[in-house]
Formats: sequence, C-alpha cells, structure tokens
Amino acid sequence: MHHDNGIWVSTEDLSREESFLQSAEREFSVETIDQTDGKWQTNRRDFLKLMGFGLGAATVAASCEIPVKKAIPYVTKPDEIVPGVANYYASSFVNGGDYCAVLVKTREGRPIKIEGNSLSSVTRGGTSARAQASVLSLYDNRRIQFAGKVKDGQVEKTDWSKLDSEVKEKLAAGGNIRVIANTILSPTAKKALGEFLAKYPTASVVTYDPVSASALVAASEQCFGIAAVPDYRFDAAEVIVSFGADFLGTWISPVEYARAYSANRKVSGRKGSKMSRHYQVETHMSLTGSNADNRVQVRPSEMGAAVVALYNALTGNSGGPKLNDKAAAAIKKIASDLQAARGKSLVVCGSNNIAEQIIVNKINDILGNLNNTVAFGAASNQRQGDDRKMEALIAEMNNGQVATAIVWGANPAYDYPGAAFKAAFAKVANRISLNTTLDETTLLCTHAAPAHHALESWGDAEPKQGHIGIIQPTIAPLFNTRQAEHSLLEWADSASLDRQDDQPYYKYLKAHWTGSLFNEQSKYSTPGAFWDMSLHDGVFEYPAPGKTVSFNGAAAVNTGAVSQPSSSELEVSFYETVNIGNGQYAHNPWLQEMPDPVNRTVWGNYLSIPVEWDGKDIRGWNNLEDGQIVELEANGQKIRCTVVRTFGQTPGTASVALGYGREAGGCATGYGVNVNPLLKNEGGFTQYYLTDARVTPTGDVEKDFACVQHHHTMGVQGKQGDKTVNVDEAVLAFQGSLTERSIIFQTNVKDLDKLEAKMEEFHEHSGHLNSKTLYPTNEEYFGTGLKWGMYVDLNSCIGCGACQVACVSENNVPVVGKNEVKRHHEMTWLRIDRYFYGDIENPKVVYQPMMCQHCDNAPCENVCPVNATNHSMEGLNQMAYNRCIGTRYCANNCPYKVRRFNWLDYTTADVWPANEERIFHGAGDDTPFYADNLVRMVLNPDVTVRTRGVIEKCSFCVQRIQEGKLTAKRESRAIQDNDVRTACQTACPTGAIVFGNLNNPESDVNKAQKNAGALAYQVLEEINVRPGVRYSAKVHNANEELFS
Amino acid sequence: MSHAVAPVRHILIEGNKSYHNITEDLVSPTEKSPTREWIVAFTLSAAFLALYIFSIVWTVWKGIGEWGANRTINWAYDITNFVWWIGIGHAGTLISAILLLFRQRWRTGVNRAAEAMTIFAVICAGQFPIFHMGRVWLAFFIFPFPNTRGPLWTNFNSPLLWDVFAISTYFSVSLLFWYTGLVPDLATVRDRATGFRRKMYEWASFGWTGSAKHWQRWEALSLVLAGISTPLVLSVHTIVSFDFATSVIPGWHTTIFPPYFVAGAIFSGFAMVQTLMIITRKVLRLEEYITLNHVESMNKVIVLTGTIVGVAYLTELFIAWYSGYIYEQFAFYNRVFGVYWWSYFGMMFCNVVSPQVFWSRKIRRSIWWTFFLSIVINIGMWFERFVIIATTLARDYLPSSWSYYRPTWVEISIFAGTIGLFFVCYLIFTRVAPVVAIAEVKSILKVAGDQYIGKNANKKHH
Repeated sequence: MHHDNGIWVSTEDLSREESFLQSAEREFSVETIDQTDGKWQTNRRDFLKLMGFGLGAATVAASCEIPVKKAIPYVTKPDEIVPGVANYYASSFVNGGDYCAVLVKTREGRPIKIEGNSLSSVTRGGTSARAQASVLSLYDNRRIQFAGKVKDGQVEKTDWSKLDSEVKEKLAAGGNIRVIANTILSPTAKKALGEFLAKYPTASVVTYDPVSASALVAASEQCFGIAAVPDYRFDAAEVIVSFGADFLGTWISPVEYARAYSANRKVSGRKGSKMSRHYQVETHMSLTGSNADNRVQVRPSEMGAAVVALYNALTGNSGGPKLNDKAAAAIKKIASDLQAARGKSLVVCGSNNIAEQIIVNKINDILGNLNNTVAFGAASNQRQGDDRKMEALIAEMNNGQVATAIVWGANPAYDYPGAAFKAAFAKVANRISLNTTLDETTLLCTHAAPAHHALESWGDAEPKQGHIGIIQPTIAPLFNTRQAEHSLLEWADSASLDRQDDQPYYKYLKAHWTGSLFNEQSKYSTPGAFWDMSLHDGVFEYPAPGKTVSFNGAAAVNTGAVSQPSSSELEVSFYETVNIGNGQYAHNPWLQEMPDPVNRTVWGNYLSIPVEWDGKDIRGWNNLEDGQIVELEANGQKIRCTVVRTFGQTPGTASVALGYGREAGGCATGYGVNVNPLLKNEGGFTQYYLTDARVTPTGDVEKDFACVQHHHTMGVQGKQGDKTVNVDEAVLAFQGSLTERSIIFQTNVKDLDKLEAKMEEFHEHSGHLNSKTLYPTNEEYFGTGLKWGMYVDLNSCIGCGACQVACVSENNVPVVGKNEVKRHHEMTWLRIDRYFYGDIENPKVVYQPMMCQHCDNAPCENVCPVNATNHSMEGLNQMAYNRCIGTRYCANNCPYKVRRFNWLDYTTADVWPANEERIFHGAGDDTPFYADNLVRMVLNPDVTVRTRGVIEKCSFCVQRIQEGKLTAKRESRAIQDNDVRTACQTACPTGAIVFGNLNNPESDVNKAQKNAGALAYQVLEEINVRPGVRYSAKVHNANEELFS
Repeated sequence: MSHAVAPVRHILIEGNKSYHNITEDLVSPTEKSPTREWIVAFTLSAAFLALYIFSIVWTVWKGIGEWGANRTINWAYDITNFVWWIGIGHAGTLISAILLLFRQRWRTGVNRAAEAMTIFAVICAGQFPIFHMGRVWLAFFIFPFPNTRGPLWTNFNSPLLWDVFAISTYFSVSLLFWYTGLVPDLATVRDRATGFRRKMYEWASFGWTGSAKHWQRWEALSLVLAGISTPLVLSVHTIVSFDFATSVIPGWHTTIFPPYFVAGAIFSGFAMVQTLMIITRKVLRLEEYITLNHVESMNKVIVLTGTIVGVAYLTELFIAWYSGYIYEQFAFYNRVFGVYWWSYFGMMFCNVVSPQVFWSRKIRRSIWWTFFLSIVINIGMWFERFVIIATTLARDYLPSSWSYYRPTWVEISIFAGTIGLFFVCYLIFTRVAPVVAIAEVKSILKVAGDQYIGKNANKKHH
C-alpha cells in the first residue's frame, strides 16, 4: 500500500488519491449484498411509475384492431338443421352427358361435400374427381348473378320479366330458332323442351358433345337400330380390348365402368388367382391405357388399320390399310385371346369414325358379345350429340337462316372444333345464353338468362334406360338466377308451369314424376310415396325394357372407310383429361390443381412427346425437355405449347389435351392452349388427331411449368448393348437403386406364387430387423382399444384422382396456384404417385395413393421440438396446428414426404391481409381466392383452416372418426367399421381404399389384408417406422408373348 | 498468466517489446480516430446488415414461401448457413479453453479476437433457427416454461430442443469467458482514457484495480470457465449433428456425425480465425504480436482437422457400401454423382485436398497462401453442409417426391446479410476493445519475447 519500495500500481496510487486509498483498504474485506448502499433498490414511487408505464405500453400495443366477424344465430331455427350436424341429400351430378349419383353433404344449409350414392346401380357409390369438385363451382363468384343483356363483356342487369318479354317478342317475330345444347339426360327437361318446340314450330334442338361420340351412336343406329351408346358390361368381360377408348378416365361413363372393370381385377395372394385381361390400343398414355395389361402403340391414323386387323384376324379376311408390324403381330395374338373368351369379351372403340365403329360392332357380334357384354337393355343416354347436325347448323347460321339461337349449358364458341362456329354464330340476330358463367359463347350472346348451379336446381337425369336420378337443390339460389327449364317453359308460355308457386319447376318436375313415371313402377301404391322415396333415395330404377339386338346385315363392314394411315413424320392426337374434360370443368381450381394422373402436371395442357432411350440416357424426342416451348404446326395453324416428356407415347406422335386455353368465364383463363380450333371434321364427325404435324422448338422455356413429380420410373427396362438393363437405374448409374426399394411390388398374375415367396421373405427379413424395441410396452398399448388403419389395394386403384379431390374438399386443403405447384409447394394431403415400369418404350404403370402413414414409430413425432405432432391413443399421428411453430423438421424426417407446409398465406387466415396469396394469373384475381367469402362457404366447418407457417397432413379424417365415435356412443354400442369412412374411401369408384379398426380382427381392413396374404405390405417396411397403412402388390395379367 | 513455463520453443512477441510498448500498441487502436479502411469496411458491412434486416422482415412478413425450399427439401440455405456459422464459432472456445488447459502459449496472441469471432458467429448462426420458423412470433414455444396450456411441455426427444440448450449455453459461456478476459484490458484502456470514454470503460471494467485479489479471482474464474467450456466445444457441434444423425433419412442417419462435425467445426473455425487475423494484424499493425509462428500453429491444426474430416468422408462412403443397404448406398452415391455432384466435389477439393499443402512448412508460414486457403476452406465447409442437407433431402426414400432446390434472392440476401452482421460486430469490437489480450501477452513476454529468447536474446532489454 505504501510505496516505500518505490513500486506503484497506478497513477492514483502514485498520487495517493483518497478513493484509491479507500478501495485499497477494502481489497480483502468481505462484502455481502446487504452491505450495498441500496442504489439498486426500487422505492414505492418508482415501482408505481414503472408499473404504470408497463400497463400503458401493453395497452397501446394490444389495442391494434383485429377485425371482428360476427356470427348471428337463427332467430327461428329451421327444423331440419341442427348446428354442427350435417344433413345429406340424395341428388345427381350432371354435366352434359356426365353423370354420377351423389349425396350432398350440407352443414347449416351449405353444401360442402359430395359423396357417392350407393343406391345407384350405375355408379354404385363411386364418384369422380369432377363430381367431387362440383361443389366448389357452386361458390364461384364468376357466375353470372342476374339476367340481362350482354354488352361489352358484361351483363347489364335487367328484371327477369323484362328479359322474358323481350325474348318472347324476338321468338314470336318468327324465323328459325335453334337450341344448342350438350347431351340432355333429363326426361323432364326434355318434356319442357318439347313444350317449347311445340310452341315455336320453327324451333329445333341441336345436340353435340364437347368430346364427341357421335360416330359411336350413329354406328349403333346403323347396326342395331338403336341410336344410343350400348350398355357395356365390363364386369362380365374376361378379355377387354379398347381401341383408344379411355373408359376408366373420360369415356362415356367412367365411374360406372371403373367399378365394373375393377370387379375382375382384384386378386388375393393365392396361387391360381384369376383376373381379366385388358388390351389397350392407343397413341398416348391414357388413364385406361396406364391400367392395361398390354398396350399396343399405334399412330392415331392407324387406329382404323388396327380395328381392321382385328376384324381380319377374327374372320380370316385380308386386306385393309397397313398397320405397323409390331402392332399387327400383337393384334393377331389378341384375336386368339378374344376367340378363347367368346361371349365373355368386350371390344370398345373411342374413335369418332363410323366405319371403325361399325367394324367394332361387327367384331363384338362375331365374338358373341352382343346382348352379353354389349347390351341394349339398359342402353346409355350419356352421349346424344350429333356432329352432323352441328355442321348443318353452322351452315344454316352462315346462310342467315337462323333468327334466334339459345345456348343451353353448351359452350360451342370454345369447344366446338374448328373456327367456324364463332363467325357463323355472329350472323344470328338473337343469341340467348342459359349458361351459368360468362364463357366464350355467352360473351357472344345478346341476352343472358343464367341458370342455377346444379346444387341449386331441381331436375332429374336418365343416364341409362331404367335408371333415373333425382336432382334436388341443397341451397337456395345464391344469385338472382333461374332454372333453364323454367326459362324455356316461361318463353313457351307453358300452361303447366305454375308461376305463382315458390318453386315452379319443382312442381312441374313432381307432376312429371307422379304422373308418367309413377306408372312405370308397382312398388309404391301412391304417387306421394313414390315421389318421397325417389327423392329420399335419389334414384328410381325400373326394369329396363330388356331389349335384345342383333347385327343388322345391311350395315356393311367397309374397311376402306376407316382412317387411313399417314406416312407423315409426326402425327398429333388430342385427348380429354380426367379432370378438365373439354373445358367444361376448367374453371374449377380443385380440378386445375389435381395433377393429371399420367403426366402429373397441373394448371395447363402440355404437348406429350415420346421418350427415347439411346443406350446412355433417357431423352425426349428431338432432345426436347420438359417445359420447353415449341411451335406446333398442324392443319395450317400454329400454336405454341409446352412440352412434357411422356413415357408410353407412341413414337412419331405427340398428344395434347383439350379443354385448356380458356379465354373467359373463370379462373382457368390464360392457362394452357386451346387446341379445339385445330380439329377437323371428316365425313361429318370430328376427328381428334391430325397428320402432317410439325414441331419446332422456339428456344423459350415455360417459367411456370408445373409438374408434381420429377422422377417417374421404377425400373423401366431397355437394351444396353446386348443385355437388358433397368435404364432409369442406368441413368442414375446405379443398378438396383430403384427396384430394390420396398415401395412397389409387382408381378404377372401367373407368377403370383413367386412374388408371394419373395414377399414372405421380405416380411421375415423386415420383421427380424424390426424385432428389437426400446419400448416393449408399446405393443400392448397399441393393441388395446381402437387402432385406425388403412389398406390400399394397388390392383384396384386406377389412379383417377377422385380420392385426391375428395380429400381437398373434406379437409379444406388450400389451392396454391400454378407457380406455387411449380415450386413444389402443393398442399395435397393425398397424392397419387405414378411409377412406370417394364419396357421403356411401352411401359406399364402403377399408381400408389400416398398419404400420411400414421406410423406407430413416427419419425416426425420425436423430432418436433414443441410436441405439435404426436400420437393419439388410437394410433393416429395427429397435428396440433396451434402448437406448430413451423421448423419443418418433421417434414424432412418423414420417409414418405407427405407432410405439407403452409409456405405462404394460402388460406388468407393470416393477421396481415397484405400477404394473401394471389393464385390465378391473368383472370383479374382482384380478391385472393380464399379471401372471397363466397368461396369460403365451401369450407368444412369441422376442419381447421390452417394458417401460414404450420405443417399439415392427412389426419385419417379425424373429424369423421370423431363423428363416428359419437354416433356409436349415442347409440350405446361399440364402434363399427362403417361408422367411420374416410373421404378418400367413399370417393373411390373401385373400392381400392379400406379403412377401419386394426384391433378388430373382423374389421374390413383386417379382412382385406388377410385376404391379400403376403401380398400386403407396408411401404419401407424394414425401416421400422411401423406405418398404419398397408398396400397390396400390383398384379397384372399381361400377355407376355404379345410382342415376342 | 503465471503458469509454469514450458521449454522455450517459439518467439511469440517480436520487436523487443517492453510492457509499455505492448500497452501502447494494443490500446492505441481504440483511441485513434477510425482509419479510412475501417470506415469503408464498416459502411460496407452496415449495408449488408441493412440487407439482412430487409430480407428478414420480408421473410417474416410474406412467409417462408419466399425461400426456395419445398415439400421435399424443407431445409436448405437456412440450416446450411446455421451449421456453417456454428462451425465457425468453434475456434474461439477451443483456443481459449482447450489450449489454455494444454498450456499452449501461442493462444495468447489470437484468443481475444477468436473468442470475439465465436460470439459473433454464434449470433449469426442463431438467426437461422429462429427465422426459419414458419411462425417466428411463437418461437418462445421452444422454451420449457411453466404455462397454462395444460401445462404443455416441450419435446425433450427432439434434437432441435437440444440445439436450443446447447447453443444458448455455448453462447452464454463463451460470452462470459470472453468478457472475463476483457476486464483487465478494459481497465487498462480506462486508465488511459478521459472524460466520457473513461466513464464508459470504468463501467465496463467493473471497477478493476489490478489488485492481487482481483487477479486471483480473475484467474480462478478463467480456469472454471475454461473447465466448463471445454466439454462445450465438443458438445455443441455434436448436438447440432444430432439434428441429422437421429433422423431416419439415409445420408443423415449416421453415427459418425458427431466427431466428424466437431472436427469440421474446428477446421472451419480456425480457417475463419486465419482470415480475420491476417487482415487484423495487417490493418492494426500487430504483426509483432500475431506472428508467423501463430499462423503456423493454426495451420497445423487446420491440416490435422482437415485430414480428420477427409477420413470421415471416406469412412461414410465405405460404411454406405458396407451396409449393403440400398437407400444408404444410393444416398451416398447420389452425394458424389447425383444432381448436386458439384457441391460434393467442391467440398472434397476445398476441405480435403487443399489443406494438404500445409504439410509444407514454407506454405504454412506464407501469409498469402494461408489467407487464400482459409477462404477456400470456408467455402468448402459451406459446401459440406449444403451436401449433407440439400443433397440428402433432394433424393430420399420415395422417388416420386424427389425434387430440386434453388435459393431465392431472399435466402441469398439473408446469408450475405449475416456476413454483414458479423463484420459490423467485429469492426465495432476492433474499435472498442484491444484485439489482442494485453494482460495475457504481457504474461508470456519473458518466455516468448524475442529479446529474451531467440536471436535477439542478448540485446539489452527493459
């Protein structure tokens, strides 16, 4: 301390400052907290000040306004509505000739979901993606909301009465009147139309279908004297040959056919199992072709040659147009297969060439299929269009012979082939539209008399003779629209329309039913009971006339009139997609965002080009790559379209879908390209292909090329030098890297025992790997009570996508738009993976619906830092959205990649409206899709709408499980399998998905699994995540000698 | 430090420095007006920091969808950068704690800056796990705090939760350690300062007087903190590696990850120390304190850890092949030859091949070589994390879900922005605190000063 020794430690020390001396004194003293001078203690006043400031600051911060949305209760509650309990109404989904018997689920008076109606013998409870999505189009704010004149692309609002008088005046003024419609299935509507035609003798109806089957109907008339589509009985057929008819996806009545077809495709894991054999002769890989056992590739112009080749092979004739050698050899073998199944085979043809259809009828006749698999007892009404009449109409209009045209539900300005319609239509003085949206045709009209959406309408539909479905409204009309039938009756000054009634057309319809239809049956003694039960069931079926037919000898087989093969370098074919049709369904965001089953693309149509294998790499034809924009030149026109490489596309051809490139009427405007103007009419029938096409790369690439699957194959084979290798694995330079994965198992039905042995070994190996556990008590835990599980039969699954749209509808899964899908931000909880396998040039396809597997050892659960995803006592892997902070670790750790993250504010559930995602480009998306209160009416109130930043995924429809449990509880009984049926399960037309309690040995799901034996497996079984979903191996029945 | 003196090996302080010289040299940068270089560097860094703030606000406002991650590759740039920064933050503690315990005297020249770098790197690293959350406003859910939600607890099985603890512990201990070391030096600065500056330093140095008792307590605390930090050096990156190692994804599910990550972290940490120190010693004219001997010592660590990492890479490949398991084999095959092959080869070249030149003493002692390679190594280590994260996720079990990842401008801006954040912090640090630990350097003067050992030893000294 004293620098006696001359040492000092600081200037303070040197100068002996007071403070320094004090601190030096204290250096080794012990201080405690108590001895501090109290500087940090807060006194009472400071405390109050701080608290006051804190409260004030918190108040200011918390007072940011949050919009208040009021829920107003019923003043007088309607009897049939119990808040929180759904009502189901039987009805029918009808759009042109498309039909599906449905139940409409309503909640608090809002239709929110479509289910299949199992009482229908046509669709048997199955649905299609189109039917599932139809509920969304009800809540489309682009519908026309009132009647009026059409001016400058808008409807000028007028009163209905004013419109009526104006229209009546024009109709009465004379001149020819033409009603242009698609197929009309409704008998009552036809009656109403009859009254209209009776009132105006100069009127007639012209019917066409957006995708024509005119030649098929015409051929039936010539061959059998019945102008209808036959009742095809796919369930009675052991050998099926389809010439380009996409009967599982789009052709005539796909839901009905898929159900019937799949009946013969289910195999259990037993040696000697039998299944039907399906040959598909086609150009592009259609949904049906992708399910076929063998595909024979032909160029579209060779279709006639293929039909003739089969005819020749069966009859021993020769001649006819030349078919490529490979196909010709195959067809010979197909012929012998067909002959072996006389009376139990079925040949169908999707072409629109009458000569070809007549030959196909003759083939069915030769094979003894008439009145067996090709019957007319319950002939189908689902395609009534006549291309020739439409051609005649265009000529009439061009000649100024039509004074008034009424467009009823049809959109010929868009979907009628060629470009002639628009110009001809403009020459009609009075153009009246009954359409629901301002589509291309309505925009050309003078008057709009908008009809209701089907879910607001009364009606009926007779898709097949002997089967009539009811259409009943499930919501009061949202807009000031009027039923089309009502409009026609009004204009016809019908005496049978009770204008004073609340629902005049309802009365009209009921009168028809309780009158003439009542007399068709004997089950009900009073018209009232008959009507009530029909309305309740949604369908009325009466014994069909039971007509048998024979082939009319006068219908000559003319092998010269079939399509003639072209030698042009490139042919292009046009097809209808499963989801969009020829644009009838385009303005439905759910359908737009449903990936095409084969191409896996969304929001657009793409030019499918063949894939080639050069011994080293898999390339697109002409080295074109996905997303490149090319110029397609055909029929003297040029269009720009985006390329997608498609396996199975016939070499020398390209294909592009119809139905895109819409110019008006809704959200699809501006997506894809319209190819209808390219189509040609030949001999009175629209042809869906063109020869002499040319494709020129433009050097541009589509920025938003949206395809949900980047890798498409699982072991496609080709030659490398002399040996056959898996070429996709050769590209990855790693043989076995795909085929050794335990994702897909497949075999030919004749080798079923080999696959079974292999899978038994696999199960044993996996069981061994998975036998060790750190948590032995879990087995017991999961073994008691309920344990939900699912079984997916890959052999029944046809990949149609109905389940996917049903899931979107049930679970409020957001639509994200093209750009987001392109960025792989799609939100689908259930996707259908599509893998090609087999011959690279002509591969087979397996579809695998993939959803959350509800693993018992769920890898997602243990990595969530906040326990937002966890396991329920019933084996469900569940998400607590409110707890999720969005680290996405679970999604990374999911081996099945089924977890979906809300990357942006797709549902407009966010606090900040500034972030709401604009989904549609082009079509003036002023209001973000989900911000529209009309669209939000479709939301299922039982399912939370997820906000930005949280993970979501398949919940096994936990809201349905909960409802089923409550039902069972209320009825004081144990829960049964059919108390709970998931949305995907009920939507499936083929019964591929079974759901139930795994702990109940008698449950459907356990029975289905047991039935499949060793063929049932879990995807990635050996990694011990213990999924709750099991799949069955894919079994096909290919004729392996076909191409040898 | 008054530890036992090991036999003299290197001159660590050159220029015949007296204690006074040391104080002058090391404190003066905090006392002068900033140089033009500093101002330019700071402006640039601040601009990047602004970019960082902008892109983070953009992300939080719009959503994670503004990034390029997708349904298959849910983590990419974000976690790559997180692991990269965390790795960089490993050298500081290693130098201050483990080398302290190993009595490596050369650490005194670089430990201060390395520790500062650690802290700033951990701050940068911490940004990513926070802002990669979809709902960052609920980030507090990750803390196990008593609540009225059930109470709802965090999931102690989740490696992400372990990360929270590991990183926050690491950060607080490193900060404490660093600041403890700073106290006597801040007091030195205080003693030379006047006015407001003096007041600030007085406050910052906690009334340090340099009394024997203070020194005694200070040394005791340093030792305790070194003891706590030592396992942390190993544990933090081990736990970060658990994010991957405990998953089921082939290419992540690997037991080799902990040691491999730790070695990689030290490797990248030292590379970053080299980058920074080479600039710092030049700009602040500290060549006599951060000598070629220091540079060489660190290069030795780099060649060692780089080789360890290389062995790990090869072991992974061998084990994947040896496993006979298709997913594992494909995952690693894909790493090397798959869609992101360039990042694998980038990683291999930068991390394994390039540091091998340090076997040459000449290159080890070359400032230019060292600087260049330190940058190369940091690029390589970034590739390594990208390979592990993005490449693995891009090709996992189900081929149907395979995807590709490209960063968006937002992610690139955030990454570039964190570099700005780092340098803003570092540049402020060089202005307010001595970048070389004055007290510690003084403590080794008599055993490592060139006037006492080596060729200058016979000179008259102070």
